[in-house]
Amino acid sequence: MSDALNRTEEIVRKAKSLGADEVIAQTTFGRYRQVRFSNNEIDTTVAWNDYATDIALAWKKRVVATKIHNFEGVDATVKRLMELAKVSKENPMFGGFAKGKFKYASPKADKKLIEIDDPQGYVFEAVEAARKEIGNDIDSGGILFTKFEDVYLASSEGPIGTDSRSAIELSIRAFAEREASGHSVECSSTLKGFKPARAGTKAGEIARMAKNPKIGEEGVYDVIFDPLIYGSSLGVYGWMVSAFAVLIHMSVFVDKLGKKVAPEIVTLRDNPAEYSMSNRVFDDEGYPAKENMFIDHGVLKGYLHNTSTAKMFKTETTGNAGLVAPSAWNLEMDAGDMNKDELFEETKRGLYLTNTWYTRFQNYAKGDFSTIPRDGIFLVEKGKITQSLKDLRISDNALAMLGNVAAISKERQHVHWWGEADPPSLSPYVLVKNVHITKSR
Amino acid sequence: MDEDIVDFALKYAEDKKVEYAEARGQSQIQDRLMLRNGILEAYTSAVDSGFCVRILANGGIGFASTNKWTKEEAKEIVDLAFRYAKASGRKDKIKFEKEKGVETKWVVDQKKKIENVSPEEKISAFEEINKTLTSCGVKIAATMGSCNIDLISKYFVNSEGSKITSFVPKLGAFFYITVAEEGKTEQAYEQFGYSGGWEAFGQWGVAEKLVHNAKILKDVITKGKAVKAGNMDLVCGPEVTGIAAHESCGHPMEADRIVGREMSQAGRSFIYKGGPYWIGTKIGSKHATIVDDPTIEHSYGYYAYDDEGVKARRRFLYKDGVINEFLHNRESAAKLGTKSNASSRTVNYDREAIVRMANTFVLPGDMTEEELIEEVKHGVFMKSFTEWNIDDKRFNQRYVGREAYLIENGELKHPVARPIIETTTPKFWTAVDAVSKKVEFDAATCGKGDPGQGIPVFTGGPCIRLREVYVK
Repeated sequence: MSDALNRTEEIVRKAKSLGADEVIAQTTFGRYRQVRFSNNEIDTTVAWNDYATDIALAWKKRVVATKIHNFEGVDATVKRLMELAKVSKENPMFGGFAKGKFKYASPKADKKLIEIDDPQGYVFEAVEAARKEIGNDIDSGGILFTKFEDVYLASSEGPIGTDSRSAIELSIRAFAEREASGHSVECSSTLKGFKPARAGTKAGEIARMAKNPKIGEEGVYDVIFDPLIYGSSLGVYGWMVSAFAVLIHMSVFVDKLGKKVAPEIVTLRDNPAEYSMSNRVFDDEGYPAKENMFIDHGVLKGYLHNTSTAKMFKTETTGNAGLVAPSAWNLEMDAGDMNKDELFEETKRGLYLTNTWYTRFQNYAKGDFSTIPRDGIFLVEKGKITQSLKDLRISDNALAMLGNVAAISKERQHVHWWGEADPPSLSPYVLVKNVHITKSR
Repeated sequence: MDEDIVDFALKYAEDKKVEYAEARGQSQIQDRLMLRNGILEAYTSAVDSGFCVRILANGGIGFASTNKWTKEEAKEIVDLAFRYAKASGRKDKIKFEKEKGVETKWVVDQKKKIENVSPEEKISAFEEINKTLTSCGVKIAATMGSCNIDLISKYFVNSEGSKITSFVPKLGAFFYITVAEEGKTEQAYEQFGYSGGWEAFGQWGVAEKLVHNAKILKDVITKGKAVKAGNMDLVCGPEVTGIAAHESCGHPMEADRIVGREMSQAGRSFIYKGGPYWIGTKIGSKHATIVDDPTIEHSYGYYAYDDEGVKARRRFLYKDGVINEFLHNRESAAKLGTKSNASSRTVNYDREAIVRMANTFVLPGDMTEEELIEEVKHGVFMKSFTEWNIDDKRFNQRYVGREAYLIENGELKHPVARPIIETTTPKFWTAVDAVSKKVEFDAATCGKGDPGQGIPVFTGGPCIRLREVYVK
């Protein structure tokens, strides 16, 4: 038993001794490193060392939380937290924290990611791979990010455990011309099989193909989504399947349980698996994190829950706590039976989109939204890319687009990117019919 | 916050061969309330405290932070930052524009100190809002409300001899409501923000604004009609003016984007050296004067010195329709051969300061709102917006109206359901032919940086009138 876990448990005991009904303490020792680059050179390299314990307690259904650093001021902090609970308000919907003793899978974190040698080298590997595609006119930027977390969790309700979580991500956007760019990522939980050059090559290929873009035309298109941009869509569906999003009507899935929301080829899961950048063995209540299928062959099977939302929906927690809001860890779309090339062959006249940003909704409950594709927008005619385009916007509906999925590729990629393709996902190429495209006038 | 350790970190960094070093300690007392449908889900109260160093050495930058307040840890992060800076191996060496050292202290006053407001009072304020909202005669399907309080103490020192201490209380609130009428839904969010004390809560008129929004959403459902697409005049309310100023003036004028530093995330800018737009280029009509000003007292984006120790001032971004001045930090200023204009901001001790807006708004004209509308034969008055976005070069943008009305022969008619303007930056600002007198501000959280740094800002302006733009 480690000292950190003992001290985390001690916090729980302390809060219980002061009268708390239920307590969870979670200590994270995090080491995060990031190399940022632009114009093909390193701009800055960043390190964050984080020593934090999150403490949540409930007293007579009053839920309060705090954070301490480096186990400093535990007694005073817990005392203050109890005082806060006593003047706070009851949450009648609070269903308690997860109860029971659980066995967790062994974490498979890669200790090499505590401090990698020569992080800049990974960046240059990606840049050089992109340069091979583009030539010396290349302009590129991005990040290399690594994470290593030791996590210690103790709960008055039974759960106690440790986890180690590691991740590495390389994101590169390469420009072949001012308005011809490609973006790709390489994401993993370990260094094994991590190939920055793969991201560089793909970003470079897209950028090269994107040269000499023309302003596209408005209309309704069949669209092939690259795994990176579809990762953004999966992030939207992952948020909307959180029970919290459903409760506040920021979801198209309100009152849709058991109903068909997509064609039969669509199966979506949340799975904090070993390969994922957001791998974990338990959630923030100490409940085992696990695979949850939420759309099964087009039918909405369930929402993602913590213990409280599960009780409200008369079901079991799915291991996705969040103190307040359950959240997806790592989304997966099941592979289809076509390969990428066959998806293109299916497309008589359509678009191939590779990345997007600035997704905003008019109405989450209805699903009306728009988003702005970037980094390679291509016209596809008779299965072939015939023209690079620019300055287009998807202006459509999230539920309609899920319903219009026509084909899914066998190939899938683990993707994560900044604010858009988040949380990480295992994302295929996806063909969606009848997507509404608009542009500036 | 232990200022001695921050001083120690700087001294330890200066003993190395650095071109520039800074250390910043930051302690934030944070309160967070989250209410769902009027029920307090959780009350979070914590102190987030740590320090960072940033080093420029061998033409490269290293940054490291920690929340372990020990000298050993200070040495470790300085060593890391120094090693990272040296390892950058840049051909094009980064330089920082030099400033004179400043020793000062600045604080934002509170009329009603947040520290003296009990948790019960804060909770009660939010519960009352929800009661008012849910009894306003409109069917509210769901609400989500949150309150963010940050009492931010900073201690900044650098190798130029600067020593700046500051204290800023930031008060923010956010609401999201869903109205359901006749089997249809409409949604709206509203954000409030202030630098100062709890007195803001009474000034915001939160309940009134949310009730107004609820009634508007009901009207959109029950009375709203789609506009017949075509060229027409568009009068934008201050909220729409403000978001357009922020998105299509403030962001493209951030010099770090212009030099490419943000190319893979927030993107670049339609303004770049050798391109069609640069300082001195016409971008709008003579009525388009947009400033960014951190010095507006009690504004959400207020600061007296930026996070590189540079004194804040108003920046004229577009002046009389001409591109005038970029937003700079020391790095971008050195790169483009100018001086920093104090645009370097960060959200916490563990984030690098980058170029940010503060309070971006269109300067007022001399007409009244009524006069703007009176002169419109056929058009739309878009008072507020719902969905919006802009591409990463900040050229193609879209605003969808939330509260909007048809204008016929100078008079407001029925509500218009979700009118849309989707146009380019020069088309938008060139179409402006009149600006009203009264400036209003809205609080917003501007997103940028990797990892994301959501930073408090105001957006704002008066009503502006655009002639003959395509609205659908």
